[in-house]
Amino acid sequence: MYITKNGVKTDKAIVLDDMILTKDMPTTAGSRMLEGYNSLFNATVVDKLTDAGYEIAGKANVGEFAIDVMGETSHFGAVKDDEGNLSLGSAEILKKEKVKAAIQLDVNGAPRRASAVSRLVFVKPTYGTVSRYGTVPVACSGETVGVMAKSANDCLEVLEVISGYDAKDGTSLPADMIEEAGEIKRVAVVTAFDGSIDDGVKADIDAFVKTLEAKGVAVEKIDGAGLLASKTAWNILMSAELCNNVSRYDGVKYGYRTSDYTTIDELYTNSRTEAFGDLLKTAILYGSETLSDENYMKVYDKALRVRRVTVDYFDSLFENYDAVLMPATSKKAYGEADVKDMAYEENLYTAPASITGLPAVVAEGVQLVGKVFSEKALLELVKLCKEGE
Amino acid sequence: MDIATLKRLEKLNQLALTEEQEKAFLEFFSKKEKEAEALSEIDTENVERMVHVMPIMTVVREDKEIKNFTRDELQQSAPETTDGYWQVPRLVE
Repeated sequence: MYITKNGVKTDKAIVLDDMILTKDMPTTAGSRMLEGYNSLFNATVVDKLTDAGYEIAGKANVGEFAIDVMGETSHFGAVKDDEGNLSLGSAEILKKEKVKAAIQLDVNGAPRRASAVSRLVFVKPTYGTVSRYGTVPVACSGETVGVMAKSANDCLEVLEVISGYDAKDGTSLPADMIEEAGEIKRVAVVTAFDGSIDDGVKADIDAFVKTLEAKGVAVEKIDGAGLLASKTAWNILMSAELCNNVSRYDGVKYGYRTSDYTTIDELYTNSRTEAFGDLLKTAILYGSETLSDENYMKVYDKALRVRRVTVDYFDSLFENYDAVLMPATSKKAYGEADVKDMAYEENLYTAPASITGLPAVVAEGVQLVGKVFSEKALLELVKLCKEGE
Repeated sequence: MDIATLKRLEKLNQLALTEEQEKAFLEFFSKKEKEAEALSEIDTENVERMVHVMPIMTVVREDKEIKNFTRDELQQSAPETTDGYWQVPRLVE
């Protein structure tokens, strides 16, 4: 049982990552820009959880606007595990405290990577099935609220609570559009990533394949090279959307304000320059350039078309398979030096599900991507694999 | 990208990079430009752009008044206010 700060014993304690707005606790998005910021309202997922009797135990640190590899760009410092490797706040809390689950905004795959290296389970549900109302907006066309937990069962329980239509979220899917996918019986293993992952990750994939086969799931290797372009296309779309979304932070209405200004331009520029970290500045400038006259059609529009090509490619795979197995990371653990300048590289494995909105589940250090509305089936498959252990 | 274009981008986005940051960004951009060029090898001639991953188009809520926040509430996180207004430096002389 988890004991809250008010002394309440509960087996329904939940941690929120700091991209989820809360009325009673500050929300920082890991940025100096939002240090001390208090929202006027709760995210829909927070209200759904508390209405269902869950206790919000607290907030967990994230990288600045959740676009980095694993929290390394947080203004408040990176979180490390007991071995000194990078981790996410939510993952460390789950490993050490008796909390049921962590709710996280998956923008650029950080929760999936953290779950893989921490041997936790994370579900990124189909885009539109969980409300994003009250999350800090970054890359709205692909970011999804997901659940991290110690078991697939806990993920299933909490996902059930937070899922459902929300009129306050314009991308929320009405119930009549959702048709849950069936049991997963055939899995394709992508080999296109083999050259970029270390032996430990390969061993995790091999072990998971053996377990699947032992449980009667048909497994077949495929090249999967059609997924490799997702990274570049997602980097373009994510940066373009981020550039627009963070333009609201100007030191006037809320957030950080510089003390070094005399004119309005100095107020804007110095506030943003002092408050944003290097990765965020890079993402803003890159996103802005992809939307320029010169690059809009060549780069941004092309990325939108590649998104459809990727969706079509997945559809072609799903004619023969129910899910696709691939790595979530290139490494079994990340030191701080490993992630320098890697936010736009290490998402090679998470971008395919981010750009298509498809559900993904990370467990046992590997990632399964399924058809739309197959998140529960993916978690059931993970449960099946753990049976008898 | 040349430094003049980067300076224009900085101004547009209200950011001021140090020389070191500018050098790092130009290197980053050069790499990303090559990656974006590689996308041109993918045939998208008859492919429609995909803005929404789900078939949800422009969503308009019912034209009905809803509970809104008060001025005081909206300004509670403002860095500086005066008499219920957001305070900024003088814009016109």
